[in-house]
Amino acid sequence: MNMQSRDFGTANRHWDGVHRSYIPGAELVLPDALHLHQGAETKVDPVTFEVIRYALINANLEHSRLIQRLSVSPIVMVARDFQTSILTEVGDLVVLGPNVQYFANAQSLATKWVMENRAVSPGIRAGDMFLSNDPFVGTAHHQDTNLMLPLFIGDELFCWVANTLHFADVGGTSPGSFCIGAEDAWSDPPAFPGIRIVEGGRIRDDMEQVFLRQSRLRVTVQMDLRAAISAAQTTARGIAQLVERYGADTVKQVMRGMMAASAELFRERLASIPDGRWSARSYVESSVPSDRGIYRYQMNLEKRGAQLIVDNRGTDPQAGAINCTFAPLSGSFLASAVQALVPDLAGCFGGAYSCVEFDLESGLLNCAQHPAAVSPSGAATSEIAVNLSTILISKMLSCGDDAARSRMIGVPQPAFYAHIYAGLDAKGTPFVNPTSDNMIGSQGGTATADGIDAGGSFWLLGAIAENIEQSEDAYPLLCLFRRFQRGGEQGAGRHRGGLGTEICTMPWHARHFQIELATNEAFVRANGLSGGNPGGMGATRILRGQGADFAFPDLSAGVTDGGDVISPKALGLMLGEGDMTWWSCAATGGYGDPLLRSPQACLADVTGGMFSAEAVWQVYGVVLVEQPDGSLAIDQQATGDCRVARFADRLGRQPGPRKDLSAAARLVGDCLAIHEGHWHCANCGHDLGEAEQPYKALAHERRLPIDSFAPGFESPHPDLADAMELREFLCGNCGVRLETEISLREDDVLDDIRLT
Amino acid sequence: MTIFVGIDVGGTFTDCVAADLGGGLHHAKALSTKPDPIPGMLAGLTVLAEGMGHSLGSLLQNTGRLAHGTTIGTNMVVERNGARVGLLCTQGHGDAILMMRGAGGFAGRSMQEIFSPATSRPPHPLVPRSHILEVAERIDRNGDVVLPLDTATLRPRLEQWIAEHRPQAIAIALVWSIRNSAHERALAQLVREIDPEIFISLSSEVSPRLGEFERTVASVINAYVGPLSSAYLGRLHQQMRENGLVESLLVMQSNGGVVDVGAARARPLTLIDSGPTGGLSGAAALARALGHSHVIATDMGGTSFDVGLVLGGQPQVADERVIGQYTYLLPHLDVRSIACGGGSIATFNPHTRSLSVGPASAGSQPGPASYGRGGKQATVTDADVVLGLLRPEAFLDGQMALDREAARAAIAPLAEAAGLSIEQAAAGILTINNSNAALLIRSRTLEEGHDPRDFIVYAFGGAGAVHAFGYAEELGAQSVLVPLGNGASTLSAYGIAAADTIRYFESECRLNSPFKPEALQAALAQAETAARAALGDEAEASAIERSLLLRYAGQYFQSISIPVGDGVVDEAFCQRLLHDFEVEYERLYGEGARIVFQSVEAFAVRLKLVGARGFQPGQRDTANGTLVVRDEGHKVFWPAVGEWLSTIVYDGETIGLEDQIEGPALVELPHTTVAVAPGQSLRSDRFGNLVLMMGSRAQENGK
Repeated sequence: MNMQSRDFGTANRHWDGVHRSYIPGAELVLPDALHLHQGAETKVDPVTFEVIRYALINANLEHSRLIQRLSVSPIVMVARDFQTSILTEVGDLVVLGPNVQYFANAQSLATKWVMENRAVSPGIRAGDMFLSNDPFVGTAHHQDTNLMLPLFIGDELFCWVANTLHFADVGGTSPGSFCIGAEDAWSDPPAFPGIRIVEGGRIRDDMEQVFLRQSRLRVTVQMDLRAAISAAQTTARGIAQLVERYGADTVKQVMRGMMAASAELFRERLASIPDGRWSARSYVESSVPSDRGIYRYQMNLEKRGAQLIVDNRGTDPQAGAINCTFAPLSGSFLASAVQALVPDLAGCFGGAYSCVEFDLESGLLNCAQHPAAVSPSGAATSEIAVNLSTILISKMLSCGDDAARSRMIGVPQPAFYAHIYAGLDAKGTPFVNPTSDNMIGSQGGTATADGIDAGGSFWLLGAIAENIEQSEDAYPLLCLFRRFQRGGEQGAGRHRGGLGTEICTMPWHARHFQIELATNEAFVRANGLSGGNPGGMGATRILRGQGADFAFPDLSAGVTDGGDVISPKALGLMLGEGDMTWWSCAATGGYGDPLLRSPQACLADVTGGMFSAEAVWQVYGVVLVEQPDGSLAIDQQATGDCRVARFADRLGRQPGPRKDLSAAARLVGDCLAIHEGHWHCANCGHDLGEAEQPYKALAHERRLPIDSFAPGFESPHPDLADAMELREFLCGNCGVRLETEISLREDDVLDDIRLT
Repeated sequence: MTIFVGIDVGGTFTDCVAADLGGGLHHAKALSTKPDPIPGMLAGLTVLAEGMGHSLGSLLQNTGRLAHGTTIGTNMVVERNGARVGLLCTQGHGDAILMMRGAGGFAGRSMQEIFSPATSRPPHPLVPRSHILEVAERIDRNGDVVLPLDTATLRPRLEQWIAEHRPQAIAIALVWSIRNSAHERALAQLVREIDPEIFISLSSEVSPRLGEFERTVASVINAYVGPLSSAYLGRLHQQMRENGLVESLLVMQSNGGVVDVGAARARPLTLIDSGPTGGLSGAAALARALGHSHVIATDMGGTSFDVGLVLGGQPQVADERVIGQYTYLLPHLDVRSIACGGGSIATFNPHTRSLSVGPASAGSQPGPASYGRGGKQATVTDADVVLGLLRPEAFLDGQMALDREAARAAIAPLAEAAGLSIEQAAAGILTINNSNAALLIRSRTLEEGHDPRDFIVYAFGGAGAVHAFGYAEELGAQSVLVPLGNGASTLSAYGIAAADTIRYFESECRLNSPFKPEALQAALAQAETAARAALGDEAEASAIERSLLLRYAGQYFQSISIPVGDGVVDEAFCQRLLHDFEVEYERLYGEGARIVFQSVEAFAVRLKLVGARGFQPGQRDTANGTLVVRDEGHKVFWPAVGEWLSTIVYDGETIGLEDQIEGPALVELPHTTVAVAPGQSLRSDRFGNLVLMMGSRAQENGK
């Protein structure tokens, strides 16, 4: 047996799941003793196929609903921070649920790892379930715990039913287990690579206790664990009934057919997009609270025919607690790709995943290796991966035909802006409050539409923020406001980004109250697209004593200073009665130059109460005048003049004449075009130069302080902000903004779009 | 004054039903009139009166109870043509109704829509931000005033705001008004002083439940539909009186009960989405009369398929409601739509190379291809026509001929792509639709902790009886009841006539186990006092059913209603409550699901006040004449058999108590057709219902 254990398992591979992240090979290495149901080729008629397909999708939805109803943690119930799936006998995805989308392949990875490492010892048998929360095996961070149930038909492993739940606390140095101060894995929560938690249908008390022992919230975690186990078992029974009725070969044939169809549709949607290479970059400060470094994340996408290849070159080496492993990096890209290209598959994404390859370097921030600390990645690094992935997909789609451009999805926020509060309530009962306010979210502007205010995040399907009353009922706090941030500059664009949210709370009848986790970004990092303004910043200010008499302070323009200066990543800040915390969840970026926004859309934002007339003049150059009946109208002449003056300001001279651009030119992004081997400005028709060159090198470049576009970008950490800059790439003829770039001053210009 | 009349105004027809205490039941249909439905109602009542040997005047004079179901409020929200609403809310929280807790793009959307970020956008706002006024005031979770409301300072500002925005209705929704409604009431008083004509909607009265977003939505929708609903009901009442009505006019609510027109005008939110509840109410009345304890009520129409459960004679009640992507809490009959109606569109998926049906629907315009209104896509109804389940010449009693060739032409491309004959493709469409419907119905019963095989399916709506043979068999049900035979198509109006007068009152509480009798007693008494104060004399005449809503502490998504009777609240009462909760929890989630280490919390009191009762179904004289055969040479392509079989067509109005029809057969009624598949049989009961007995296949499927 011991001999066999050494023969199997992934420990000797490069992507081993021990030192580096686990990445399975094309074929799993399995012992003969594990009999897999491969399924004989069988013809399934087009009616039976649909009946079974629908039943499988529904079984998975049922699994999700059961978890949501049985669990007790708000993170699962309200934030929908969980996922369910059905996987083939070798752990490939058949169908994913309408929950956290970047858990895309996590269950698949963990299942394949269990198959390669547990089939001999302790063995994989009917009635078993395995638990794994090891980020180096296959999860975003330790809280997101996978449960995997092998469904046997006879003595053959037919398929897997799996779920992932975010457990409220699984240990580590911080309540809630986002250990932002962790320097390495030894300060992170314990990671279980894959343990048999259920044997022969019964929960193993020893393993359950091993898992629960680490948690500060044992009761909650136990209830959620039981919910997850029972929901998976119920779902597996349903699939077994389906197999009993239609036969294992037929059901398997349908699973394979669903996957093949998924791949086929994905390839079809890629067909209208030219081959090329796209890059996206983001920066983060502070790898741990005491650190003042700035770190670069980069993702690159290459399209070769019907295949997408993703790499992470250009990313800095892993550092502090701002890392993530392969599972969230790849899951983020897969989520962005399928939700943009094939959302109509409604979860049957497995086949489409097979069209994406990863060519990664290990040991970097976004593909870290052991013993890097990764537990906060669910609130930070994974979101950066989703953000960059969505930018890559958007850039790629923006080079395609109209249908491709219309599939672009709003770029989400580059972080999950949660505060975590902890302390003792008036009765002395401990509480941990992982705030859900950022579920309100924001979606960025796209080629075809404005972003969405309070649009959530596309990868967190159906997530919902708690009501203020629910928070105040459960925790000793009072919320003074939760409202839109109405700056106007943040996320401005031809299609503006969604507004951000600002929240102000204070302790209320608390015996002890502290902020366990807070974000106070030193510079804006929510990229705009194709010349749109960047979005907003995640900020935190503490206003000591200002809420004491409840004389409602005027914070109508938000708070840019005047409070405690909180470090970019804050831990353990004590608050007393009357100490107010103001914090923001950033607006998302805009698409296209704000000076090209339709004046009617600006007017609608003003009459709809979202922006002031002053703001649309300032940001969009739109002049509104009051009519005799008190209503507002656009002054077309003044608006036109104002915009010409703004373009001239950018160039330092009057804009040049317009030329017609050939109808045959390929639009790239918002205002770029390629025609006959040359880059052109799509706004004025100007020939920018040879397409062999990066367009940014041919554009008129301006380097500006990082807070140039908006007062809201003023930094609480000037030392860090000064190291950054905002780059504008303009058409040298008309002054229209082709692209913006947030960059470390010393970094090269990013060559972000190359068509091949 | 012994006649009960129910009127249901639908999109196409206005259905009227009259029942007398002698068991007599009369139906009439008239075309609905738009935009004013009243002429259509009077026309329907006139036809009804004639059938009963009355004039309109004498029918109304002899009507003891006239009850009416209207979709006016629902339409206003869906079509966004309600009142101009102003919203007053707590300072700092004016954006709550726009933020929608971040889930505005998802609420009430289909799975396909939810997965598509590009299309899952929040709805167009019911109240634009410029019509929302934040008021300086604050109350905390204990109901203590943190920041007092200063009406003197507010008054000029409010006057100016009202003058500027000229709201027809004002919703007032303040944070924690469920714990202390003083500020809401003071604001209402102020608005009344400024302009007594404005319709006022208070969140603490409309939906006194925890959660400011849903409560704000409830009060805003109530305000949004308030002025126009009130005007409509006032006009209707007036015209009915002018035509002879002496007794009160009642209006159907989404909670399955009716309410006096006065109360309906004050709180029109309870009328929203009451459309599908009439049928379920009617099904429940029949289930009680027939002693059916487990009923799945399926209402399949041309475009919709609504499913509700009736357990122990009571339709299931739920809290959370979504309309136009806006979520609110209000006790209502838990009727859920599934996308498996007659209009569901069939497509061929070139990637899976299979057929699929829905969720898109051809609606009633253009409708199925066989309607001949320009629809080109194949629908479930077209499959019915191709298979011979619907005879084109007999549809709607011959009033609307169906185009068989158009149906075949619509299905032909799908058949060709799938490599099937046109009949096989049509059979496939039906099989898929029935299977999908059965799956969704099954998960609905399992969710309530029940086995679908224990249920009798009630099939009504125009298309229910045509398809029940398939979906009920797939479900493993033992039998299908087509209520009232031909009355199946007017069951909604029947349900409205049969509905009791029902008012719900809810209030939040915060009690954890082990429960203390004094605290429970106080919570119940407080709710009862509030209900009595609101109802006045009406409360005295009502039976009060008390329930508590419970869950394990922290389970926000859970809500288990436990009836508590009207006994004394003592230790034994508290223990019984806990025991009943645990038994119910285990029933729902299985043995061992009970959570021994977590306390149970009672988070709301729900009082159901049942006043005047609707009529009770009675046995009817069923003609024992001769069963008339309409067509002996008809053929149907039965999906499960996969071939054309000779299928006798009967005139359903001639079935006697002694008759038993063996499948394959079709039984045609003026407004629907009952399909009896091979192996199934059909008979009539003493109440005039048709009962379809399933064959052995159903038992197989149920396993």
